Amino acid sequence: MTAPLGRVVATERKPNTPHEFHFWTSLDCPVGIGTIVRVDGSQSVDGRIPHVYGIVVEGFSYTDLLTPMHDVLGHDGSPANAGLSVTERTEIRLYTAAVLRQIPEEPLQPVPMGEVFLAAEEDVATALRMDGYLKEGANTGIPIGVYRAGATDSVIYLDADFLLGPEAAHLNISGMSGLATKTSAVEWLIASVFAHFPESKGSIAAVCFNVKGPDLCYLDQPAVRLEDSDRALYEKMGVKPGPFENVTYFAPYAAKGFSLNTLRSNEALLDNVTPLTWGLREVLTYAEVLLNKDDIDAKADALIDFISERVVDRKMDREGPLSRDHTVQSFGDLEAWFRDLLQGMERANMESWRTHHIATIRKVRNRLSNISTRCAGLVTDSGDVSDLPFGSFEDRSVYVVDVASLEEDAQDLIFARIVSKLREHLERRDLGVKHLIVFVDELNKYAPGDGHDTYVRKMLLDIAERGRYLGLVLFSAQQFRSQVHRRVVGNSGTALYGRMDGDELATPGYSVLSPATRTKLATLEKGQLMVRHPHFTQPIFVRFPRPAVLSGREGAERYPQAAEATIETALYRSLRSLDPAISLAWVKDLTSLYDEDELLRLRNAALLQKPPSVRAFFEKRLRSVIPAEDASSIARSAPPALRPLPVGDPYDV
Amino acid sequence: MGHRSGVTGERETGKETRRWPASAHEASRFLSGHLPAGVPVDALPTDTERYGYDEPPRLSEPKLIEGETFQSIHVADQNRVVRETGFGGFLDGTQDLQPVSQIAGISVLWATVSAAVRVRVNRRLVTWGERAPIVSGRYYLPFRYVSDLPGELRDDPRVVDTAKADRNGKFPSRHPAALVEAAIVRIRQDRERIEQELAEAWCRSEQSVLFVDGSITGSRDVASSTRAIGVVKSHRQLYVDDKAFPVLVDLKLRDRSSIFQVDSGTRSPVASWYLRLRNASGRDALFGLVRVEASLSDDISSRADEISRWILAEGAPLALPDGRWDKMAYGIRDTEEFLRAIT
Repeated sequence: MTAPLGRVVATERKPNTPHEFHFWTSLDCPVGIGTIVRVDGSQSVDGRIPHVYGIVVEGFSYTDLLTPMHDVLGHDGSPANAGLSVTERTEIRLYTAAVLRQIPEEPLQPVPMGEVFLAAEEDVATALRMDGYLKEGANTGIPIGVYRAGATDSVIYLDADFLLGPEAAHLNISGMSGLATKTSAVEWLIASVFAHFPESKGSIAAVCFNVKGPDLCYLDQPAVRLEDSDRALYEKMGVKPGPFENVTYFAPYAAKGFSLNTLRSNEALLDNVTPLTWGLREVLTYAEVLLNKDDIDAKADALIDFISERVVDRKMDREGPLSRDHTVQSFGDLEAWFRDLLQGMERANMESWRTHHIATIRKVRNRLSNISTRCAGLVTDSGDVSDLPFGSFEDRSVYVVDVASLEEDAQDLIFARIVSKLREHLERRDLGVKHLIVFVDELNKYAPGDGHDTYVRKMLLDIAERGRYLGLVLFSAQQFRSQVHRRVVGNSGTALYGRMDGDELATPGYSVLSPATRTKLATLEKGQLMVRHPHFTQPIFVRFPRPAVLSGREGAERYPQAAEATIETALYRSLRSLDPAISLAWVKDLTSLYDEDELLRLRNAALLQKPPSVRAFFEKRLRSVIPAEDASSIARSAPPALRPLPVGDPYDV
Repeated sequence: MGHRSGVTGERETGKETRRWPASAHEASRFLSGHLPAGVPVDALPTDTERYGYDEPPRLSEPKLIEGETFQSIHVADQNRVVRETGFGGFLDGTQDLQPVSQIAGISVLWATVSAAVRVRVNRRLVTWGERAPIVSGRYYLPFRYVSDLPGELRDDPRVVDTAKADRNGKFPSRHPAALVEAAIVRIRQDRERIEQELAEAWCRSEQSVLFVDGSITGSRDVASSTRAIGVVKSHRQLYVDDKAFPVLVDLKLRDRSSIFQVDSGTRSPVASWYLRLRNASGRDALFGLVRVEASLSDDISSRADEISRWILAEGAPLALPDGRWDKMAYGIRDTEEFLRAIT
């Protein structure tokens, strides 16, 4: 049996309660804030010796001095003299621990006097109620990190039923930027989930929105350096220390449409980068995201509904003000339809058409036409759609949607539509996987606690409150948890905290933590987290390994972003990924003969259809154009003979 | 005493079926069961602190064994901090008394006496492992003035008769103050006895020197051992005559007096000297003044210098917040605090 490291103490002024107790230790004891301890009671209750598990939340140290002045006097005001005394003043280490669990759980009594032991591995499992979900038959533990204290090195597991549903769900991560907390933690945790999510619970995938910098752009690339200590952590927690094996990137085109608008634009990494482009149909459903309340009054809303249901993808015959038949399938078609309609109304001096006033039609035209400009690169005039593989999501796959370089409107649109589609498919159980993690960083931007209600915030609230029933799980992160909508963070069953800013810790949301715990949070090292989980009655500090994937900063150095491409290089790069036989000379020939829009439209179509021969694909669809000849060669050849003039030609003078 | 681990009690009778009290409160209840005529009380007379002093303040002519005249001797540099010490342990005892009952105006006292040795390990003080601290709880009452005292109490060695005849065959009077004073004297004797027990054990088994709080003359073994030094803080009896008195009160910081022999009839002879631990400028004459007792030996002068430096070294850290901090070594304060914690 191990030796006790402390003894429970209680006084009338500082009594123990059922949820808190105090103990003292020797000065060299390996106890600190966050250490888990076990108290063995000395008196049996109902024939059982009580065992109480607690976590240290506060520490005190003091001597038998009544006032610091006595120490000053004792050393004649010279600190150097203090080290010369033959005896050290009596000193105490007194700790306060919050109760994690009492066994037996009933009757719930104040913590008894007893000896205090450092919690061993099995004690940690019991204290955190992990024994319930690590036992044979349940086995739903997902390693989140390793708890260390003294000789104890214990893996801390989250319960998959409470992390990914259906009992509770969602995860929220808070931490200062630049300290390898949020992104690193989520990369590690998704790897752990993929490694440990029970087969019996079905398939799982992750959709990650890369909202800033190159953070998530290299998930399929191995880390530059992984230290032995990290590898040991991976081994202890049963996770393979390698990059994600199945990652697909999605990014819209840049405004010009030549190349994808992503930091992962290095040619060596383009093989799993897919364009993200939507047409009119895809966007119109989510017009609300891009149009504010001033834009959409009841009349405009009615017109948009009319357009969605009665215009888009339907043949509109020439009638009334319309001068010709229309089939609206793209923003270009829609603009032509609006132009024709308004010109017709003006000609006929009509004030309304099908109950829609001309002013409303003008307003909606203005707003909708504007979308393709505001979301250039994402929204295509042509109507070509390149989307996430809804319906064929693969198990243990990561789908990264890179929106880091986009305007806010486009980010909102992408987020709203993708999440809605995911939700629809999960409701129908035809997404391809049974559970889906959606990771969103900068949550205080997308679901702020104050400000007006936005479509994106409503969606996030909906996921947070109802997603778990569908298998849609939100992993979210932000620097300032206090600035995120309470219902979003409140519905996150699990919360992780990295190093926190002092101002943030001073907000009311952290008042449940002891001052010492808050101080520890403010000084956490890289790779350390505080974990709150429904099974843990108190927050636990763990250490997690460095992600085994290339970090954003290192990735950006190793795979520099490609220079802004010309139309030739953009076409060459993207088409060559489909067909290695494509040559730059052939592409240059195309660009000299055809206009950019036509070539880009065909390029996008080719990327979607992935034809066996790109050259044949293009040649079949391009109209024949006789290449211009070199002027010099023309000069060398003899001019063709002129046909003789007809007799009596009046112009023959 | 209770059943505290690591603490030794005194011999128990073995006949007692009921647990011997460990506190005054328990002692009161225990006595109620055995002395139904007693009326529980819980406070001593307000002037009790004046009781128990069997010696009035006085001056005694010193019997010098160093030099011809009583003089001051400088033992350490004024400007250098003394840090060498030969003390390995500190011995102190405490006593605590509480009236628990009154029978026809006669107080029954419950007293706890305790003693412990604290040793220094890596500059920190811990309890001596060779002999556990001693804690003893006893009743003190005058048998002759308590009628119908049950035999089980009368015969129990933990019930002390405070009204025995003195060497002249004289019994204490029935005056309540006289009886309380007699009880306090017995309690102090009991405390000294257990202190001596520990000191003797130290001298038998340890190589380093024991710092004893108080006189060492009560035990022949201790008084003659070089492994125990007594440091007396109270000065009801000053070993100076009219000529030596000015020298004593003028002792400067880190000065000691000439060595003299303390040799009372009932106690063992020792060498003794005064030592000024603190600068008494602006203070009373006895501020920071202790009297040191050591075994008699041929090299007592050099030993006195060395022992004085050790005692000076024990002046840090200060024994504050104890009111006697000017004379008390921190090790003794620590031992007192320890005893307060376990009794």
